[in-house]
Amino acid sequence: MIRLITLMRAELRVSTGSNTPVPHTPNVLVIDDDVELCELISQYLERQGFAVECVNSGVDGIERSLSGHHTIVILDVMLPDIKGFEVLNRIRASSQLPVLMLTARGNEQDRILGLEMGADDYLPKPFNPRELSARIEAILRRSARDELEQKPGSPERIVVDDVELDKGTRTVRRSGQVIDLTTVEFDLLETLLRTAGHVLSREEMVRRVLNREFSPFDRSIDTHISNLRKKLGRRPNGYDRIKGVRGVGYLYALAYDSDKGDN
Amino acid sequence: MRRLFYKIFLWFWLAIIVVSVTLVALTASEYSRASEDEHWSSKYGPIVDLWAQREAEILDSEGKNDLLKYDSRFVLEPALRSYMFDASGSEVLGRVAPPRIMQIAAQLASSTQIEPQFYSSERIIAKKTIGAGGHAYVGIVVYPQPSVMRRRLFEFFSVDVDPKDLLRLGAVIAVAGLFCFWLARQITRPIGKLRLATREIANEHLETRVDKEVLTRRDELADLGRDFDRMAQRLDSLVAAQRRLLADVSHALRSPLARLSVALGLAREDVTPETARHLDRIELESDRLNSLIGQLLTMARVEGGVDLDQKKRFDLNLLLEEITADGDYEARGKRRSVELVTTTPCVVDGVPEMLRGAIENVVRNAVRHTAEGTTVAISMNSIPGPSGPRALIQVRDHGPGVPEAELPEIFVPFHRVPDASHQDGTGLGLAITERTIRFHAGSVSAVNAPGGGLLVTIELPIVSSSASPATNEVDRRIPTPVRS
Repeated sequence: MIRLITLMRAELRVSTGSNTPVPHTPNVLVIDDDVELCELISQYLERQGFAVECVNSGVDGIERSLSGHHTIVILDVMLPDIKGFEVLNRIRASSQLPVLMLTARGNEQDRILGLEMGADDYLPKPFNPRELSARIEAILRRSARDELEQKPGSPERIVVDDVELDKGTRTVRRSGQVIDLTTVEFDLLETLLRTAGHVLSREEMVRRVLNREFSPFDRSIDTHISNLRKKLGRRPNGYDRIKGVRGVGYLYALAYDSDKGDN
Repeated sequence: MRRLFYKIFLWFWLAIIVVSVTLVALTASEYSRASEDEHWSSKYGPIVDLWAQREAEILDSEGKNDLLKYDSRFVLEPALRSYMFDASGSEVLGRVAPPRIMQIAAQLASSTQIEPQFYSSERIIAKKTIGAGGHAYVGIVVYPQPSVMRRRLFEFFSVDVDPKDLLRLGAVIAVAGLFCFWLARQITRPIGKLRLATREIANEHLETRVDKEVLTRRDELADLGRDFDRMAQRLDSLVAAQRRLLADVSHALRSPLARLSVALGLAREDVTPETARHLDRIELESDRLNSLIGQLLTMARVEGGVDLDQKKRFDLNLLLEEITADGDYEARGKRRSVELVTTTPCVVDGVPEMLRGAIENVVRNAVRHTAEGTTVAISMNSIPGPSGPRALIQVRDHGPGVPEAELPEIFVPFHRVPDASHQDGTGLGLAITERTIRFHAGSVSAVNAPGGGLLVTIELPIVSSSASPATNEVDRRIPTPVRS
């Protein structure tokens, strides 16, 4: 039974300040072997206006993900047949379908690995279902915005020192070499490059890139920053590209800035 | 520290040197003894020859009395003994001769040798002579042996060594040196490799295995290497198994909570204010359960040393800044604040996430207890310590403090300050902090601050007091996969 509660969705949209509409009746695929939890999640999300399909194994999960029927995947790390990360890998091999990972395992390696492999966000169990709903909406908003901005024929490129970001093809080059980034890493780098030389607070980054509100002790952005640093590497002269600024946030350092010395 | 190598090398070499030198000395002494004998025989041979002939002449012409006179003039050295035997084998002057002399006399009597016979080792010269009257006589003179002591010393200090011999000796010692070097190396090298592997394991790199070079040998050290690998494999599996267990336990405990949480969300859909309050309570207790599970598992992780392979060198100062920022963000929601008052660049060895959790526990505790409108002050300084510089981190709040008697107890698991009205803590946070800091070779303590509130002090050993460019960021790297 699908009951549209547009009021709640509108509230959420307003609170995050974005006016990109969520796709009409978004289709959610839940991949989790916890049958009862799937049932509960389905009930909850359907009341929020989503269409939900559940599968309980990794193999089924891959098959359904690649079917093209869904707009977002909720994926649990612990599956009976193949690992959740493997499922993520297979999905990412041929699609940029948004993926939100869930885990009850309680270690941070899962989060780091998941985000690096291309998951859009990460929620530990147990979670407040409101939070789940909000994150799904944030991811869908970002995804929709990316699609709108990806206009072929009018490629917008941002170049800062030796890094070149092409919005049309969604590729990034460092000194000519193509760097493989996840969708979130791409958006994050774009945001950093646009404000290169200026500090961006973590709250601001979460809002712009992840499309949701910042909560303390939430390490998603830090993990994305760390992964981005790893993938881009340091400058040829050995200095960092992305600097942490005391208690405030991060900035993408311009060449002459970093040559002047560390902050 | 290559003491074993030098021990083996030097002792074997010394042994060879001693043997070689002794050999050369013996040979030289043999040689010099031979030359001494040569010298003796060539000096005294003709003398005895003449003496024997003269005595034979005297015996045949003048008789025994004259012989005695001649003989006593000849025998000047007291140790010298002379004997004269006639053809029948009896001593002409009636002197008693030892059996050996008799034996020699008998031998010569029956031989046709008229040249002097030398018995160098016994210092005996015997000569058969034919007297004027045609009678055969055997004259025997016994010379004193050179004194043993004198001889040995004589040989030792003035041994006649050919410089070519010394060169040969030198060559032998050099070759022996090379051989001993190689021998010592053959033994100590695999031991060195085993030691390296052991140290890596001790530094939590459980995927380490012994260098192949050790395993291809065919001796006890290769066996040791194989046993080591087996042990390392076991350690590796144990830690991996523990990690899996913790993950499984977490999954098992949190799955029901996850279902509970979503069901709660559903229940809130149509609800009366009264029921809403009950649901709030359910949510609160559910959160507490989850928090407790998290703490228990963290405690198990710390105790089990499961994350110690994430150990690396990083900037403690930057970590502290992040903790302050996060703590402050949370505190502001409760009309309090957190501030990093002083800090200093500080590089430590450790697991960043473990230390983050440990320090955060203290900070969040402080935020929970500090009075409304106050600021929790964090500071870090570097102080000298008995075994090197240490980082001193202090967190001070403006809360009620802790009764003096209870101060040491607050780091005990599940300890509760009796009159505290704050029930949000699980009772494990500070215990986890204490364990974690201890694992990092540090210490943590608490005192009541002057002016009210609690002052928690954390000490950690630091690597250096200035951050190097390489550690300019707090790098949260992906753990390297365990070698299969």
